[in-house]
Formats: sequence, C-alpha cells, structure tokens
Amino acid sequence: VLAALAALAAGAAEARTISDGQPPGAAAMGTGTSPSPSGTAFEETRLHVFTLDYPHVQIPFEITLWILLASLAKIGFHLYHKLPSIVPESCLLILVGLLLGGIIFGAEEKSPPVMNSDVFFLYLLPPIVLDAGYFMPTRLFFENFGTIFWYAVVGTLWNAIGIGISLYGICQISAFGLTDITLLQNLLFGSLISAVDPVAVLAVFENIHVNEQLYILVFGESLLNDAITVVLYNLFKSFCQMRTIKVIDIFAGIANFFIVGIGGVLIGILLGFVAAFTTRFTHKIRVIEPLFVFLYSYLSYITAEMFHLSGIMAITACAMTMNKYVEENVSQKSYTTIKYFMKMLSSVSETLIFIFMGVSTVGKNHEWNWAFVSFTLLFCLIWRALGVFVLTQIINVFRTIPLTFKDQFIIAYGGLRGAICFSLVFLLPPAVFPRKKLFITAVIVVIFFTVFIQGITIRPLVEFLDVKRSNKKQPAVSEEIYNRFFDHVKTGIEDVCGHWGHNFWRDKFKKFDNKYLRRLLIRENQPKSSIVSLYKKLEIKHAIEMAESGMISKVPSSVSLSDYHEGKIKPLSPTEMENMREILTKNLYQIRHRTMSYNRHSLAADASEKQAKEILIRRRHSLRESLRKTNSLSRERPVLAFCGGFG
Amino acid sequence: WGSAPATSLLSLAVTSEQIEHLHRRFKQLSQDQLTIRKENFDSIPDLEFNPIRGKIVHAFFDKRNLRQESDGLADEINFEDFLTIMSYFRPIEMNMDEEQLDRFRKEKLKFLFHMYDSDHDGKITLQEYRNVVEELLSGNPHLEKESARSIADGAMMEAASICVGQMGPDQVYEGITFEDFLKMWQGIDIETKMHVRFLNVDTIAHCY
Repeated sequence: VLAALAALAAGAAEARTISDGQPPGAAAMGTGTSPSPSGTAFEETRLHVFTLDYPHVQIPFEITLWILLASLAKIGFHLYHKLPSIVPESCLLILVGLLLGGIIFGAEEKSPPVMNSDVFFLYLLPPIVLDAGYFMPTRLFFENFGTIFWYAVVGTLWNAIGIGISLYGICQISAFGLTDITLLQNLLFGSLISAVDPVAVLAVFENIHVNEQLYILVFGESLLNDAITVVLYNLFKSFCQMRTIKVIDIFAGIANFFIVGIGGVLIGILLGFVAAFTTRFTHKIRVIEPLFVFLYSYLSYITAEMFHLSGIMAITACAMTMNKYVEENVSQKSYTTIKYFMKMLSSVSETLIFIFMGVSTVGKNHEWNWAFVSFTLLFCLIWRALGVFVLTQIINVFRTIPLTFKDQFIIAYGGLRGAICFSLVFLLPPAVFPRKKLFITAVIVVIFFTVFIQGITIRPLVEFLDVKRSNKKQPAVSEEIYNRFFDHVKTGIEDVCGHWGHNFWRDKFKKFDNKYLRRLLIRENQPKSSIVSLYKKLEIKHAIEMAESGMISKVPSSVSLSDYHEGKIKPLSPTEMENMREILTKNLYQIRHRTMSYNRHSLAADASEKQAKEILIRRRHSLRESLRKTNSLSRERPVLAFCGGFG
Repeated sequence: WGSAPATSLLSLAVTSEQIEHLHRRFKQLSQDQLTIRKENFDSIPDLEFNPIRGKIVHAFFDKRNLRQESDGLADEINFEDFLTIMSYFRPIEMNMDEEQLDRFRKEKLKFLFHMYDSDHDGKITLQEYRNVVEELLSGNPHLEKESARSIADGAMMEAASICVGQMGPDQVYEGITFEDFLKMWQGIDIETKMHVRFLNVDTIAHCY
C-alpha cells in the first residue's frame, strides 16, 4: 500500500508539472489524462484499498477552490461593516490575490498560473456585462444616450490615440531604451489602457449623493467603452500582424468599427425579442424560466463573437430588450431567481478576475522600465482629465442640463482601470509583442494606482467639493409635508415642460410598443402590475392564516381627533407626532421610480415588493380594525385607526 | 409666433433658446392651437402618476399666478401665460442682490401658497390643508382618510404654535396666512430647490 501511495504521489506530481503549463481554469478540456508512472509496460498491481487520484479531478477541483476562495474572501471583508464603504471591494480582492500569489510563488518558486484568452472572453466577461446590461435603467439611458455615446466613443478614441501617440513620442527618446516599440504597438497599448471600469466607483457612489444624470453617464459610458475598447484592440492587433498597411485598410478598419458595433446590437435585439417571445409560453414549466434568459443572452454573445462582431454590445442589447417583456411573463420566483443568479455570476466573475490580477502581479512576468511605466501613468491621468474637460465643453452646448465642474471631476477622477485592461494585455501574442512583459507591468501599475489611490480617495474628495448643506434639525411634520408636496410639484412641472424633445420619440415608441410588441410578446390575462399580483398572492396567504389563527391585535390608540369642528385643534403628544412622522415617511413613496444605485455586489430591495408588503400590512390592520369595531360593545372614545405601530 | 410684449417678459430672464424649447412644448401640448385648456394636460403620460396632478394643472390656470388682477380660474391660457407660470421655476442668478433674492423667494412661495389655498381667500384653512394632505397621500389607496386628516391636523397645530405661540384652550386658529407661510418655509432654501433644471441661468434676459 505504501509503495502504491508513493507511486501515485509521484504520478500526481508528474501530472501536476505537466498541467502547470496550462491555466487552472483550463481552457483545454481534453488534456486531463494522467500519464501512467510506469510507462507502457503492463504491470500487475495489487488492489488498492485507498487511492489518491488528484489528476482525475484536478481541473474541476482547482476551479472550485478558486471560486470558493474568492467567496470566502468576500465574507471576510464584509465582516467589518465599515470597510466596504472606505475601500472599494476591488482593492480588497486584489490584495487577496497578491497574498495568494505570494504564497504560490513562495511555495513553488515559479510564476503562478495566469488566465487564458478563451476563459476570459468566453466565460468570465459575459456575466459581468450581462449584469450591467440587465440592470441598466433603460429610460434614463436613452434620455442621455447622446452624451453617453459621445463620451464612450469619442472619449475612448481620444484617450487611446492620445496615450498611444504620446507614449510613442517617449519611446523615441533613446535614453529610455524603448525604441523598438513601434507606433502601432503603442496605439494598441493606448487602446487597451483606456478601458475604464468604474464599477468600483459606482459602489462608492451610493454614499455620495450623485444625481441621476451623472450616475447614468458613468454607468453607460463604462458599458459602451468596454465594447469600443475591445473593438479597437482587435483592430490594432490585426494591423500589427499585417506586414504593410495600405490606405484601404484604414478605411476598412473604420467601416469595420461601425459594422461590429451595429451588428452586435442587431443580434442582441433580435435574440432579445426571441427570448421574450419564448417566455410567453413558459407558464407551464416555471422551473426553467430563468434558464431561457441566461441561454439567450449567452447565445447572443457567442453568436456575435462568431461573426467577429461586438459580443458586449450584443449581450447588452439583448438584456435591455428582454428585460421589460420577460419581467412581465415570468413568475415572481423566476424573476427573483434571475436577478440573484445574475448577480451571483457576475460577482464571481469579477472576483476571480481581480484575484487573478493579484496573483499575476507576483512572479516573473515583469519587466520594469521607469520611464515607460511612469509616463504611462501620467499620460493616462492627463489625457483622461483633458478628454473629459474638452468633451464636456463641447457636449454642454447641446445639453439642456449642463454638466458642472463637480460632475466633470467625478467622471474624470472616476476613470478607474480594471479587469478588461488587464485581460487584454495578457492576451497579447508574445510573438508580435516582444516587449509584452513591459506592457503587463505598466498596466498593473496603472490599475493598482487607480484602484487603490483613486478608489479610496474619491469619496473624501467629492465630499470636500460638495456644497455645504445647512445643518438639519429634525423636520417637523409640516415640513415633511411641504417638502414632499414641493417635490411633486417640481416633478409635475418637469413633466409638463418636458425634457429636451426626447419625449416625442419615447411617446411614439410607447404607442408602438403597446399596440404591437406587447400583444405579441406578453402572455394574455396578465394583472396590470407585479404589485397587484404579489399583493394578491400575499392576500390569499394571509386569508388562510387569518382563518387558522384567529385575531391578534393591540392597536395603539390615539387621541380622538374626529370629534371637533372646524378650527379647533387639540395639542398632540410627542408619540403621536412620531407616529405621524412615521406614516408620512412610509407613505410618501418615491415620486418617480428613482434609479437605485447599481451595485455589482448586492441587490437593492425592489420598490414594488416593499410597497406590496406595506399594502398588505395596512390591509391586515384595517381588517383587524373593522372586526374589532364590530365586536366591541361600547365606545367611550372613538379610536382612530392609526398605523404607527408597524416598523 | 404670438405677440408677447417685450416688457412683461423681460423680467423672466429666460433665454431665447429656452423660450423656443418651451414654445415647441406648448405647441405639442396644445396640438398646434394658440391656447391650452385643462384637457390638454391629459396628454402627458407621466403626470398621471402624480398624486397632486389636479393641483398642478389648476395652478396653470389660476389667475393669481398669471399676474392678472381678477380672481378665479382662466379657461384657457396662451403661450405668454405658459411662460409666466414657467418663470416661477427659474433658478437664481449669480448677480442678484439681497432685495431681489427676497422678492424672488416670495414669488416662488406665493405660487406654492396659491396651490394650497384653493378657495382664494388668502388663508389656508384646516379643511384646505386636510385636502392637500389627502391628495398627497392618495397614491396609497389603503391609507385611511382618518390618518391623513390627523396628519393635517398635526401640521396645522405646528403651524399655529410657530405663528401664534402658545394658544389658550379656547382659541381658534383661523388659518395660515401668507406671512405665516413664509415663516414656516424659513428653514428651507426654496430658491435653490425650486427650479426646473433645464431652465438654466447663463444669459441676461432677452427675447424676441
């Protein structure tokens, strides 16, 4: 037995050294065979009572361990509740990765495993983009589409070309030893480093009071920006691999740019409609409803990739199209499942990427060159700030609501680099890019700088820039009323005077939608809104409970206010004031469905769920009240039905 | 389009661009007629969800807001009136002095006051206040009227205590006058909040 164990351990070690050449999230599926330690000769072995066969499960085992580790890390740093608000999660994930990389490096004296192109683009990226696209508030997005498009496309081009050319200029200076990096390579580097990933900032945005405009700009820009970057990257990469570049190629490149973008969007929309149509018929098989959503989205991604169109645009378009109709067709549980599962996938994906990033930092993949790295960082910051500033001046002319300096600062400073930059640099073919390691080092430095330094300091800086508010005393009931009243007035006036003429197209689309699309894509006999259906379900459940358990009630009574005539008012006690204040704050729902801050790592409770629960609570209370009233024999003081007891 | 006398609009400090935008909106609402009636406001889909929709529409036709000497409600308004109402929502300008700011604030608060005071008698009585709160909370159909009423009563109580001080048990508080109303809003900086963001201040008043 001992001999057998030793033989197997040796075999395992051998298998491990072979497979170390491949990444753990191994792309190649078929290479799991372990070589037999004893060669090809047939040898008789005794029956083994206990065996250790690591190579057999190596790939799934390592994947599971990675994911498990990532999730444990997350638990770890949410234990201290203040931590996530000070430090963005990405920082913490990178630190964990660094730690892990250090351990692996220390233990094995070789570079830790790194990511592989297919794994990233086919498996890790789609969930992140799907998540962003699905939770994108469509109305706000289209209202600001012009600006978002402007920042994403022109801004990225500006950054990419600016950084590329200035770095090329630096490379020409022979003192730095960089003269072998060509213009094209610099442009490629510029394009991949301009991929902005503000998700870390968005998480911080929840604590800063950010207006809706800014939020959707940053969010939308990041989404489109990723797509543009990938397209540019592929374009420049193919240019790099061509021997000569003719003028026709440049035109082809530009045309390709548009085709890739628009083609991706069309595929996405098409599949989105198909998905919506499919869910129309799924009411008998509720259990697999979420599956359709994920399958169709993923299908749109890989179909687009098959044609070398932009998969990111496809999956985003698919998610945005599918969103509305699917939500109405699927059951409540499926809807919740979809949301949670999506968050889970994207969270895992992002975590894995950041941990890989940390792991890859440690090791021998680097080549340090002071000039290149520091100038890269410098140019990234300068070009981003310049770009945002110049673009804003231009776009403000066309906007009805101009962007203030504070907005611009947030957009510029919030240009954190993240996963996409990192992955793209790893995927550079080393044959075409002899200085690949230099690029990797530079990218990692930029990412670390932006994520750590900018990520941590953005919040204090924004608070510093913020206008000081007058000190708030506890608002009186009447003030609460006034404020709410006033908000409604303001919203009403805004609706009356309309925003920027987009209303015309939106109304037109709504009419078209109601007439044709909804009839086609949504199942008949639907209750008007999810609130009503949820409420109905809760009501049935409650009725059953009531029948079984009988009544319990202890309603806090209050001073009777119903028996005075006009003009006379009796004073109210503080508890009653409290109760009133509670009612007001609970009942004055959000005026417009204000966008919840997007957070990759959590799902905000749905407004309609909260409303439905409250409606149910009040209904229950009123049922109780009416039963009590009929049961009570005498009425000394008419008791006011007061809902103040529900917290 | 329309012969708006320049003098009356000069005080509005709205740029020509914004006037054009509002004009387009006006035409859309009025379906290319010269005046708008109350029914035209039904074509705004978002307004339906607003609980105080009635009061907002009403405010557009309120003659007091339209700076006309008479009282009551107009049947229809033209573009000049529309602009007049919109002018209540212009943001403050950088170069305003104390007196202008004060006047500005009073104008805006007067607009709000008129929305509360539906019978145009210059006072917000308890019944009117109750009416406001009920409308405000009408978005939630299951909240009893009683609660809304008691909230309104509580608010009036507060108003009374701020404006009149300690009341004897028999004293009757007539209603909130405009001066009392001003007192209540003292803490809230209405000038910066009460503006529709698109009416942005950059330029001096000029219009065709």
